[in-house]
Amino acid sequence: MENIITSGLQQGFIYGFMALGVLLTFRILGFPDLTVEGSFPLGAAITAKAIVVGADPLLAVLLGALAGGVAGAATGLMHTRMKVNNILAGILTTSAIYTVMLRTMGRPNIPLLTNENFFDRILRLFNITEGTLSLIQYKTVTITLLFVMVLTARLLLGWFLKTDLGLAVRATGDNEKMIRSLGVNTDNTKLLTLIISNFMVALSGALASQSQGFADVGMGIGVLVASIASVIVGEMLFGSRGLSMLLTGAILGSVIYRALLALGLRLNLPAEDFKAVTAILVLLALFLPNIKTRTQKPLSLPQVTENKEKEVGQE
Amino acid sequence: MIKLTNVYKVFFPNTSNEVLALNNINLDLNPGDFITIIGSNGAGKSTFLKVLAGIELPDAGKVELAGKDVTAYPEYLRAKDIGRIDQDPLASTASEMTIEENLAMAYKRGQVRGLRWAITSNKEKLFKEVLAEVGLGLENRLRVPVRTLSGGQRQALALVIATLAEPKLLLLDEHTAALDPKTAKQIMDLTGKIVSSKKLTTLMIPHNMEQAIKFGNRLMMMHRGQLILDLGHEEKSMLTVPQLVERFSTASGTAFDDDRVLLAT
Repeated sequence: MENIITSGLQQGFIYGFMALGVLLTFRILGFPDLTVEGSFPLGAAITAKAIVVGADPLLAVLLGALAGGVAGAATGLMHTRMKVNNILAGILTTSAIYTVMLRTMGRPNIPLLTNENFFDRILRLFNITEGTLSLIQYKTVTITLLFVMVLTARLLLGWFLKTDLGLAVRATGDNEKMIRSLGVNTDNTKLLTLIISNFMVALSGALASQSQGFADVGMGIGVLVASIASVIVGEMLFGSRGLSMLLTGAILGSVIYRALLALGLRLNLPAEDFKAVTAILVLLALFLPNIKTRTQKPLSLPQVTENKEKEVGQE
Repeated sequence: MIKLTNVYKVFFPNTSNEVLALNNINLDLNPGDFITIIGSNGAGKSTFLKVLAGIELPDAGKVELAGKDVTAYPEYLRAKDIGRIDQDPLASTASEMTIEENLAMAYKRGQVRGLRWAITSNKEKLFKEVLAEVGLGLENRLRVPVRTLSGGQRQALALVIATLAEPKLLLLDEHTAALDPKTAKQIMDLTGKIVSSKKLTTLMIPHNMEQAIKFGNRLMMMHRGQLILDLGHEEKSMLTVPQLVERFSTASGTAFDDDRVLLAT
């Protein structure tokens, strides 16, 4: 039981960054950004490589997150400047990222167990060495640290979305024509949102590599659906009314989702089935009309904005 | 102030569906003009407004706004000077955002948007004042999402959004068409009030002939992409609806064929 809770909290907070990023693009911007399946392992790969070549783990994690931001920019530029379909742009970036990861790491995975990781490095800031703590203490400290980090991200994002620029981002997802008529270049708001979102997703991947002790090119498979599941769980439990509920709900949804996975493992359910089960649960949540999320925009679908501008006879 | 010179717009060029939506439009607007534009279906009225707003760019000709050549400016670059309302109440407001958030976005029309709080107590006070003038009680519902408003309330809000930052030009494209007659009248009266109090230069495609006569100081007719009649205030204020239809037939050589505009009240 204790394992389920600690694992749920630790993994949930780590993947909470990703849930926030996915919420930002899929839900708020109405942009189904598939880049995240690439920027998650990219964050891990860049961080791992940086640590192996001797970089400070703090810097390594930052570099990993920044690499995600670059990936988001790539998708954003493809979509807004080169007019590539949004889903295809994400797929192209993800595909290219695979090469970038293999080239960077030089092999499909890098083990990190012998290197000082991000959490130990932070402890060292407070003059604590890992060996002086019991396992429980160590876990408590890392969970607290992750909690503070994800809470900071949540608060920053909540603040950003209530600034003038943040309002323009939200309106780009809500009524693009309207915000354009108020003088906003919506190509730029989309680009900015994709950068922020993928920065957070890659940060999530970077922290995941630190917590599990390795980076692997395949670690991004299924993370998008898992994030969508987290966001849906959050919405079902905490409501979808209001921005604060959505943001907080995504993190708590992530914790609950990860706790459920840990519970499944504890009950010896076959781990290889988890991804299909998650996919089916997400499908049901989107499909079943009585589920709360259904009353608003479908989560995983791009928003259809009617484009009547080119039609004649509208006079 | 606003000047169009030899403006053309063609849809589906070089196909059998080719439409000359704007055929050599020339127009010079004086500051404070309130112009109503009538014409049959497909006469090019909406295209005309869209070319002014930058939603459509002209294929030939020149569009000038306050002495600046804006012909090639996309919509978002002209937005600082142009407020626009569509006939669809869903088009001019952001549904999932609150009334005050919609107004905060309008407050920043055409300006650089940075990382300051969008809503401050000063702005809130201003929004309340502006909404109180509308008289629909919206000033007490600042934090309500716009999706909960009725069509009329949304168009009233759209009017406030379009005029909050006092644009140089206001474009109204049958903005009361989707409303019931009583609400339409309310919104039209509100429009007249705001336009005259802020002395806004306005182009309106009216929803019916009565609106065309009652509002504005200048009336224009469009037919097949051309401006075929331009009546000044004197001439216009003496007109009745049947006379206006008659003038149209004489000028265009065809009968006025838009029943909706003729019959709508």
